[in-house]
Amino acid sequence: MEESLKELFNFSGDPYTHLAEWKEGSGKKVIGLTPMYLPEELIHAGGMLPVEMWSSNEPITVGHAHVTPYYCGLTRSIVDDLLKGKLDFIDGILTYETCIQARTIMLIVEKNCNIPFMESIFLPNQMTNPLTRPYLIESLEILKARLEEFAGHEITEESLRESIVIYNRNRGLMRKIYDLRRRRPGLINVKEMVPIVHSSMLMLKEDHNAALEKLVIDLEKRPHEIDGRPKVILVGSLCTAPSTEILKLFDDSGVVVVDDDLYTGSRYFVNDAVEDGDPIEALADRFLARNPPCATKVDSEMNWSDYIINMMNESGAQGIITLIQKNCPPHMCYSPDVMRKLSEANIPELVLEVEHEVVSLEQMRTRLQAFKETLGGV
Amino acid sequence: MEEIKINRLETTKKIGPMINQYWEKLRQAPAQGKKTAWCAGPLLWMTKAMDMPTHEMPAYAAWAGGRHGAPELLEAAENDGFLPESCSYHRVHMGLLANVRDGVPIREDMQLPIPDIMFTAPLCPEMAHLADSVYRRFGVPVVSMHCPTPYREADIERHTDWMERELREVIVPALEEVCGRPFDNERLREVLIQLKEAALLRNECWEFFKLKPSPWTLWDYIVSMGPFVILAGEPGGVEYYKELKAELEQRVEQGIPALTQEKYRVYWDALCMYGWFGVIARKLASLGINAICGRYPWELFPRPWLIDTEGDPIRAMAELIGEIRRVYAGELYPQIVAELVEEYDIDGLIMFSFRTCKNWSMGQQDVVMEIERRYGIPGILLDADGIDPRYYSDAQIDTRFLALAEMMEGRKKLRQRD
Repeated sequence: MEESLKELFNFSGDPYTHLAEWKEGSGKKVIGLTPMYLPEELIHAGGMLPVEMWSSNEPITVGHAHVTPYYCGLTRSIVDDLLKGKLDFIDGILTYETCIQARTIMLIVEKNCNIPFMESIFLPNQMTNPLTRPYLIESLEILKARLEEFAGHEITEESLRESIVIYNRNRGLMRKIYDLRRRRPGLINVKEMVPIVHSSMLMLKEDHNAALEKLVIDLEKRPHEIDGRPKVILVGSLCTAPSTEILKLFDDSGVVVVDDDLYTGSRYFVNDAVEDGDPIEALADRFLARNPPCATKVDSEMNWSDYIINMMNESGAQGIITLIQKNCPPHMCYSPDVMRKLSEANIPELVLEVEHEVVSLEQMRTRLQAFKETLGGV
Repeated sequence: MEEIKINRLETTKKIGPMINQYWEKLRQAPAQGKKTAWCAGPLLWMTKAMDMPTHEMPAYAAWAGGRHGAPELLEAAENDGFLPESCSYHRVHMGLLANVRDGVPIREDMQLPIPDIMFTAPLCPEMAHLADSVYRRFGVPVVSMHCPTPYREADIERHTDWMERELREVIVPALEEVCGRPFDNERLREVLIQLKEAALLRNECWEFFKLKPSPWTLWDYIVSMGPFVILAGEPGGVEYYKELKAELEQRVEQGIPALTQEKYRVYWDALCMYGWFGVIARKLASLGINAICGRYPWELFPRPWLIDTEGDPIRAMAELIGEIRRVYAGELYPQIVAELVEEYDIDGLIMFSFRTCKNWSMGQQDVVMEIERRYGIPGILLDADGIDPRYYSDAQIDTRFLALAEMMEGRKKLRQRD
């Protein structure tokens, strides 16, 4: 593994240690965000480090005294980590009300932990409602004011614009790596790709950008042979990175992942925010982009199926593997309509339900192998 | 030991036929050339103002559960790819849509027509997805407004201002377009006046819950919520509550309690187990447990004197929705429970952890811990679903109710000793 990749891999694999060290070294505040849409740029512009909160690789124990087992794994894991003190280095938590499970975190944290900054904001998310944009802009202005109060200084337009440029740079670099993966199937396996994106959600973007600059050069040099395995795209896994064990299964199963519509994937960086004009409006417009369609946004006219089919065709893939996080209401509600549409279009799809607790890997391996064979792989 | 029985009220028996008649009128509406609407979220008072026969998502799901029509609908949804972990209220609707789209057989009395328009002010993601699903399957236009959950009480006013704008600028024009006439502000005012009058009477009935023994049960009140929801604006709501109050007064005069022996008084958190309504009532009664109050039943404007029937009805409507959202505010949740515990002298908590509803089961364990700390009363978590039988377990429920009764008995003895 290249040194540049190793750095990202390590950060993604053990965020607790690396973030605590980073905080000690920088003296800056760390704000944990509940995925997927809170504007990291605002926190970055306030001189703090925004991190997308993650699912641990430990079994949930004390957390289950506060949140039921039929909440999503991410919510349960964050609560568990908070109560175990594993996130004591965090200075603040920012959440938003769109996810009804993420709301629980506020209530539990306020009762049981001592986190200096706790905010839950409302991000209006109805894509066809003409008042959504002004409402959203007002919400972002309120959030900015609360962050300024916590940071102890103003977040200027200039600093926010600078953050947007840094974030766009990061998104551009990741798109470059994705483009490389599409052009050279098999060059980057999925067990490498997810940590590359995941580390971006955790690291200071300037540091991540520097690592990506090196990584792009290293990957260009990586030897590559024509790969004859069936090509697939991965879809879903909203809010959470698929576990390493599952990623390894994909790599071992004889299919090659050429693109994705994962949360810890292209969904995170597909859209830039505009760099000129009002930066708050730029962040609002990035959130309101209709693509990629999202099950957590209210949009009767959106068509997630078409977006995925288009991605599959553009990447030359033959099938789709969908990962549904167990107990994720928006995805569970939307998924059957996508399944039907893909079935009508004769597109092979494998749906895997995944969970914080390790599901039966052998059963998953068998299903993956069978799916590969339906795609023509041996 | 003498068996403890429930003395049923006569007035509440009138609600069932009223509800059945409501759905039947909705079923007949298209044949009569009337435009119909579906609502997911608290908007049906707006459609009522335009006299549109209206479906309401939770009301239909609860009704399907109560009439034991849910299992067939749930099965139809699962055959269409919906996972059993997803919201059962959403799934019964997906079963209903599968019936219309694919002819999947469901009971005739569970069938409803596809609407001319769908309104949503989602209280949860599933409500938004119902609207989207209706659009994706049938091309029914969807009109949506935000209905944010506040975390802090201080957020409510700002949200109310936005909801007022959305009602005025998004919902009203859509209603005018589909109905082909101007929005009827005065009819909305009439609906609000009727809601307020019925709710004020309802609050007088709530006073009877303070009596020991109580002459009625929470289940009697839940059955009586219809006049604030799908029966709002229909004739008879106010009269219903006048009759109910008179019957409660009569019970007090005659010394008739709701349970032949009320040993313990409990708070019930979250929605109801509509599929097992009578079963749960009888199980609790057999232990001398009377359910008295709860956050969900108190959701529908517990402070009706705040409903402004003199000023702008659209503003009043926005404030009404803001008031409903208040009980969802995480910051207020423990306080709302504490107030009910004090006001109605509660001995224990039953937190119904609605397996497929994340909206109503958030933070329940922490609230039990906090209330226990503050008042020394015990609580249990009841793990089941409101309408999906796959999550129902008689033995588990019996064990937990029995454990709660024993804990309440123990705590009472401790208090007496002290």
